[in-house]
Amino acid sequence: MPANRIYTILLAIAASWLTACSPRVFTSKYYFQHAAALDQIEETYKELYPKGPFTIGFNDKNYQIISLHILTDSLDYIYEFGVNEPRLADTLTKYKLDTTKVAQLILQMQAIRCTWIKTYEYYLDEKLKSLIFMSVKPRVFNTPLSYKKYYILTYFPQPQYFDSNGKLLDKRTLRRLRKINGEIFTRINDKVCYTTSGNFR
Amino acid sequence: MKTTPNTAINRLLNMAILSGCLLFFVPARLYAVPPNKHIQPVTQPGTRDEAIAFIDSIGELKPSRWWPNIKPALFLQNLKNTIRDPIRIYPGDGTNFCGYGALTYLLLKEDPLGYAKLIVQIYHEGKGSLGEIRFRPSAAIRKAAGSLRFKGRLDIHPAEQMWYLCLADRFKGYLNFLNRKYDKDDEDKLWASVNYAKFNRMVRSLLPYEVKARGADLFRPHVGDLYTYISDRMKTGTIVLFINNRLMRKKNHPTIKLSLPTHYIVTEQLILTDNLVTLIYWDYGGKTLLQLSPAFLKRIVFGITSCTKKVTNAR
Repeated sequence: MPANRIYTILLAIAASWLTACSPRVFTSKYYFQHAAALDQIEETYKELYPKGPFTIGFNDKNYQIISLHILTDSLDYIYEFGVNEPRLADTLTKYKLDTTKVAQLILQMQAIRCTWIKTYEYYLDEKLKSLIFMSVKPRVFNTPLSYKKYYILTYFPQPQYFDSNGKLLDKRTLRRLRKINGEIFTRINDKVCYTTSGNFR
Repeated sequence: MKTTPNTAINRLLNMAILSGCLLFFVPARLYAVPPNKHIQPVTQPGTRDEAIAFIDSIGELKPSRWWPNIKPALFLQNLKNTIRDPIRIYPGDGTNFCGYGALTYLLLKEDPLGYAKLIVQIYHEGKGSLGEIRFRPSAAIRKAAGSLRFKGRLDIHPAEQMWYLCLADRFKGYLNFLNRKYDKDDEDKLWASVNYAKFNRMVRSLLPYEVKARGADLFRPHVGDLYTYISDRMKTGTIVLFINNRLMRKKNHPTIKLSLPTHYIVTEQLILTDNLVTLIYWDYGGKTLLQLSPAFLKRIVFGITSCTKKVTNAR
């Protein structure tokens, strides 16, 4: 085999390895495989949020640094803590958040590499609605140049409308696709949708 | 032609008269025109109460033929809320309107009546002016305002949609060079981007501020101790920071980290305690408190715009 052809084949293999897109790996199957853990995180967060609005996530790749946003009427507070830092518990106590439950939520998130969880607000017919937005960075092989590395889930409090391809619609009467955080979502069940994204929040 | 003595005398006389005229009028003209071309306020800025009284005097707003997708009642409600509570203005999720948002926040603090009158004028006439700046939004803008969706709270703020689109349509910088004409969804793209020089130009044009800008789109400002510089400037005016928001509010874990500024925030407070900087700033519909090290502050800040009130011209 001529040397040129070998180089071409090697180059093609390297290029396909570098540019292989991780989104192909992520479908609704990922949710069904990890449904128990994912739903548990959602349940814990949903229970905590009404007691004091907050969002929480991990800023680093090793899931050791927590970014905590406490939302109040006058100010949003942004804090960063190491997972085991005592300051975290002090801060949670200060804002009257359930320390044990939040610690449990952090462990649940770490276990499945959940990067971020927040309550996302949107408007439908000029009325405020909300959903729970969760992003996960699965433990599958991520190629260096793949852009979409996060598996995003949205939990709606009520059933949604979808088109024939399972894409989330804005509303029943309008055949327009709804965008959340700039992304189009696909049905998992009536209340849960997924997409893949380059951003975790 | 040979000049006669009389003609020469006449010429000398003419030159003397002309020189006299010039000496008499020119300095007067020079002083009549303000030396700084950016001195704007022909009228005094109006207070918040005056702005609310102005909006209340409108009563019911009729649909505008210029803005087919704007609902009048929602428009008026948005304008009222904006005047009453400027902190709540919201440039939208995923848009490139943050620079316009910061500018609007300053404008609402400085001249709420001017803002209210301008917005109502643009609504009624499809065009308007503030000081020397004229807004004549394109047809594409007029069609888009009121119909922007999936932008969070901006969805129900048609007056703000109209204003941000008008600003992006009116002011252009080098980032807008490749996308100068509005197409659907361009609010999220380069069409709406605000480079640092453009931001400062907008502030100078629309607000009665003396603007001093340090920094650039690609280089950090050389101002010595950043905390001391910003704190000193805050004593005399308002500070807008042009920052690298990708570091401050991470959205991903990139392999290659680009160090570029992307976001404008209005500084409200800056406190240094135990080598930790507490920064309170306004952006996107609210105030945020963030604690960071002086080194990290230096890493994220690319532009410092100091806005101090100009002494009003005697005119």
